[in-house]
Amino acid sequence: MSLATLTKDWAPMSYGFLDASAKREIRRKMLKAVAVPGCQMPYASREVPMARGWGTGGLQVSLTLMNPFKRVKVIDQGADDSVNAASIRRFLARVSGAPTTLDTLEADLIQSRHRIPEEKLREDQVLVLQVPNPEPLRPVQPNMSIARQMHADADYGRMWLQLYEQIVRSGRVMQGASYPSLVNGRHVMTPSPIPRWDVPKLHMAKHLTILSAGREKRIHAVPPFTRVEPLVFDDVPYKVEAHGDLTCNRSGAKGFFMNEIPQDDGSSTYEISDSEFGVKTIKQAEGAPVEFGETWYTDGEMSS
Amino acid sequence: MAYVATRGGERAIEQAERLFRAEMGEITDARVAEIKAAMPYLIDRVMGEASLYDEDLAALALAQTGGELFEAVLVLRAWRTTQPRLQVADPIAQEALFTHRRISAAFKDIPGGQVLGPTLDYSHRILATDVLSGLPFKPAEVEPAAQPAPAYQPSVAAWQAENDLVDLPAVDDTAPEDIPDVTREPLLFPAKRAHTLQSLARAETGGALALGYAAMRGYGQAHPTVNELRLAEADIMVRHPNGTVFSAGRVKVSQAEVVSKKGEKLELGFAATLGWNEVKCISAATLDLNSAGAEKGSATEEEFFIYHTEGVESSGFCIHFKLPHYVTFQSSLDAMRDAKAKAVSQKEPAE
Amino acid sequence: MTITIDAPKLVKAAPLLRAQNVSKTYGAVQAVRDVSAEVFPGEVLGIVGESGSGKSTFLRMLNLEETPDSGSYTLDLPEVEGNLFDLDRFARRMLCATRIGIVYQNPHLGLLMKHSSSGNVAERLLVAGERRFAVLREKASDALEASEFPLDRLDAPPAELSGGMQQRVQLAKAIALEPALLLLDEPTTGLDVSVQALVLDTLKRLQQDRKITMVIVSHDLGVIRTLADRVMVMRRGEVVEAGLADQIFQDPQHAYTQQLVHAKL
Repeated sequence: MSLATLTKDWAPMSYGFLDASAKREIRRKMLKAVAVPGCQMPYASREVPMARGWGTGGLQVSLTLMNPFKRVKVIDQGADDSVNAASIRRFLARVSGAPTTLDTLEADLIQSRHRIPEEKLREDQVLVLQVPNPEPLRPVQPNMSIARQMHADADYGRMWLQLYEQIVRSGRVMQGASYPSLVNGRHVMTPSPIPRWDVPKLHMAKHLTILSAGREKRIHAVPPFTRVEPLVFDDVPYKVEAHGDLTCNRSGAKGFFMNEIPQDDGSSTYEISDSEFGVKTIKQAEGAPVEFGETWYTDGEMSS
Repeated sequence: MAYVATRGGERAIEQAERLFRAEMGEITDARVAEIKAAMPYLIDRVMGEASLYDEDLAALALAQTGGELFEAVLVLRAWRTTQPRLQVADPIAQEALFTHRRISAAFKDIPGGQVLGPTLDYSHRILATDVLSGLPFKPAEVEPAAQPAPAYQPSVAAWQAENDLVDLPAVDDTAPEDIPDVTREPLLFPAKRAHTLQSLARAETGGALALGYAAMRGYGQAHPTVNELRLAEADIMVRHPNGTVFSAGRVKVSQAEVVSKKGEKLELGFAATLGWNEVKCISAATLDLNSAGAEKGSATEEEFFIYHTEGVESSGFCIHFKLPHYVTFQSSLDAMRDAKAKAVSQKEPAE
Repeated sequence: MTITIDAPKLVKAAPLLRAQNVSKTYGAVQAVRDVSAEVFPGEVLGIVGESGSGKSTFLRMLNLEETPDSGSYTLDLPEVEGNLFDLDRFARRMLCATRIGIVYQNPHLGLLMKHSSSGNVAERLLVAGERRFAVLREKASDALEASEFPLDRLDAPPAELSGGMQQRVQLAKAIALEPALLLLDEPTTGLDVSVQALVLDTLKRLQQDRKITMVIVSHDLGVIRTLADRVMVMRRGEVVEAGLADQIFQDPQHAYTQQLVHAKL
């Protein structure tokens, strides 16, 4: 018996970068989060080789879930080729040896900053959303401990008051992205800065969504088939962004969330934000064999 | 032509990294050694903020990042994440610190003496520009004193406690392995004392200074006096499985204890860190001093300063604003445009 | 066939509020010593005493903001039973939010100064579960109107309003849910004398129109006299005298009460 036979060779990092203690912490907190939908679970967030605020929370969840066979897709603002998405995808592949994909249909794990793909996700897929600020009460209460007590008391009066005042002042709820939503009828969560367009996709979805904030060190989750209801007054309906009638300039895809591209003459053109969906649309028009999944929106409207 | 999405982004980031690294050129072990020899205080600062004591790794981090401090600390912390925990060393008593520098502003002289140690405090801050013309700066030789200063000293606070001027915190005899570790557990408030002290030990120097300065200027309740400042070396006492306790080596540590008057007694604020970093210790100790009784939700409470002196988090979040935010922006524009349209339609005069 | 008719029974109303032997000490100071009170539905109980008498502390306990060292407190409501001091946090918050209204001397304690006045009232309704915007708007407006608040300032934040108006917003907020019990802690103290009179008028009118059960605390006998049916006189944490308002004012028994009454008149 020698030290060499008793121990593994020294390596600069564990499989999937995170060591066993980190993965155990994150697994346990993910389970807790799934057990209490929409409730933020504090976790001991580790430093990873990426700056805080750039998706380290999502990255830690993905690293914990990764194995050499899990196909991973990474998007930022809906685009796979966005510089940060490309960097994260490269890192995940490098430390896990796992295959990567751009196609929503082929992915087992999708890590995303601020968008949910347009094609419906299945029960065998996991969506990991990057969260900058996990606390929906932050605008009415900057102190995390006080906010935590408010969640425990279901003390959401101030949250509703804010929405009321927005309608009084501007005639409508002015909340853009990160629309506060009631999960499983109990906890108010932020769905992360996804547009209003994407929030209905979380309601009674087939897939599991994990939301992770690395810097603020909180994980929350929306288990499959869980109610996610944006906070709205009964008589002032929820409004998604007015993109239902827009057409993508490059691919011709119609009725999906678009990026506005200002033009020299003061006008705007639009490009589909889910860039791979746009690519598939172009490929199909060119006659290549392409498979589309069912989409949440048809003809620019959320199908029930 | 088919839309080729991915490669553009990946190629751009690859080249951007190369552009950054090109400036520093080849990184050799010689360069790392030079940095280690030339910049001990920078290395100390980086080790303290990374909460990882390894002068070679710290010098390497600085070499690799070209001296970009936030990047250097991040790369060390990321490394730290991957290292296995072998053991938790025994706590070190004040009297066992091998002390290089120990001063107190509270008394003119103290048991053990005021030992100035290495410091620029009383120097004239003048640039030695001759060096740039080729004339090396050779520091004058140190003239040793007749008797060496004592290497170990009792703490000032011990004398004050004996004279009933201060209530020292109760001795904490938690076993080393049971001490809460802020890098392994979520930080919740009110924070465990161990978590607070560890957070202050890892605090970013500029952040601690900014908030500490505000407290010193009157935003905090307590006005600090430096009771004791120490630059020392601490033995890392570990246990062999067969029971022997031995020193695995010494690390540089610095600590500051500040006091202020509270009724008939003094109250204490304390901070310590790896490496020698006086500005951080005094600032952090001042923050600690002011946190007791700070109003919930205020800028002097623990929750505020612990969150905002976390350098890796604060700098990361700061620079994250460079990331594309056009989707959230689009969502806001949509709400704004709709509200504007509503306002206009309401202003239309009725028939 | 014999028909049996029961002798008529004297029907007595049960008290809405019953506090018994409530005591509270802060460190060395006994703020409230063995205080008991009963308030019947639709009745106004005035608690009078100088500062330090414990009257505000007692009121805070009736609002379930603080727990006493001993004593019991019951409200005759279908939603609750038993000693309210024993309620768990959730039940306590729900009861306070929906069945008890409070107006503080300092509007900063009772109002969100930077939100709109209507919003302050709406928040109460929101906490109670109202989710229709139109209803929130209407009920907030109604409550403010009943408090004689000018409706053209409906959305002005309290920070921009006068002291008297701020108290009206507090009042509207307190009555919006038609509470079983309304507590008022020195509601007009600090206001101009003329404004005081107006606010008291509003309170009087409200009480007569809606028959709200009230407990009002004041050091000012004039305020108590205007509103109270019953009076409790407190001194150094204890009740020195209690009875019908007319009796207390016309024929005070205790030396301290006599002092108070004569000093005023």
